[in-house]
Amino acid sequence: MIENDINRIKSIEEMIQVVLLAIPREISAYQFYKNAAEKALSESSKSLFKTLALQEKGHEAELRKILNELKSELRELKALLCKQSCGPK
Amino acid sequence: MKKKDLNLNTGKDGNPAYILYKGKIYDVTKSKLWAGGIHMSRHKAGEDLTDFMAMAPHGEEVFEKVEIIGELENEFSEASEDKKDSYRDFYRKFHPHPLMIHFPVALFIFGALTQIIFLLWGNYSFEKTAYYSLIFAGLTSFPAIFSGLFSWWINYDLTMTKIFRNKLIFSALLIFLSLSAVILRTIYSDISFQMNSVSVIYNFLLFLAAPVTIFIAYYGGKITWPS
Repeated sequence: MIENDINRIKSIEEMIQVVLLAIPREISAYQFYKNAAEKALSESSKSLFKTLALQEKGHEAELRKILNELKSELRELKALLCKQSCGPK
Repeated sequence: MKKKDLNLNTGKDGNPAYILYKGKIYDVTKSKLWAGGIHMSRHKAGEDLTDFMAMAPHGEEVFEKVEIIGELENEFSEASEDKKDSYRDFYRKFHPHPLMIHFPVALFIFGALTQIIFLLWGNYSFEKTAYYSLIFAGLTSFPAIFSGLFSWWINYDLTMTKIFRNKLIFSALLIFLSLSAVILRTIYSDISFQMNSVSVIYNFLLFLAAPVTIFIAYYGGKITWPS
């Protein structure tokens, strides 16, 4: 049981790292498309870049949501594990 | 309404279901699409959904059918987030950490190489060069580490993961190695000409600093190019 929890914690920590490293990429992509929209010469390209920028913002929001869920699951699992192994015997 | 009050209105335990979109608060309690405060098994009531709209299969027109009950109050936490945004803009423009990290990496390696040349051929100029390289490598480590901590704060909310843990531990080790080596060489200026334990320790510290700095840089690369 404890071994399962430890493996789950490791998997969550790895996943947190993956999601965490992805977020600044989405922010950079958002800034990139936002700047491109400001510089765009035609209305169609401006609109395309604006849509792409908003999608990147959406990706960032989704990733932040997943990150928060992972962090709270990790906290709960660690607390549970501590209860099992650090509690009174 | 304040953000913390909005977060309480989740549509559960008899609470109404409120959502935030572009600063306005909408009441979706009566909507069938928000039964139990959940929308499409994906979004929860009590949250800001502004940035999620671009990912939705519908547009803003869905809000025309929903009642607006107020606006979100501007709070301190939002102001501090805005400040972080301006720091992020600064970081994106000047990228101080990748800029600073190359100095200690190059200088620690250069110092180790010049010390090897001295040990092989006994030319004192190379020993002195290794010492000066060590001093400047140690000095440039500080802005590199602080800019790294700054990046960790603004880009990753100081979240601890394996990569950041390793970078922190080995950065502390690097400071210890370089400081100890510089102190030893400053106190015993002829340390490299001695054949005693202090001389061995000095060389050990100097040579260990190079792989440690490479290791830190390697983990930095893992952040930039994650696999």
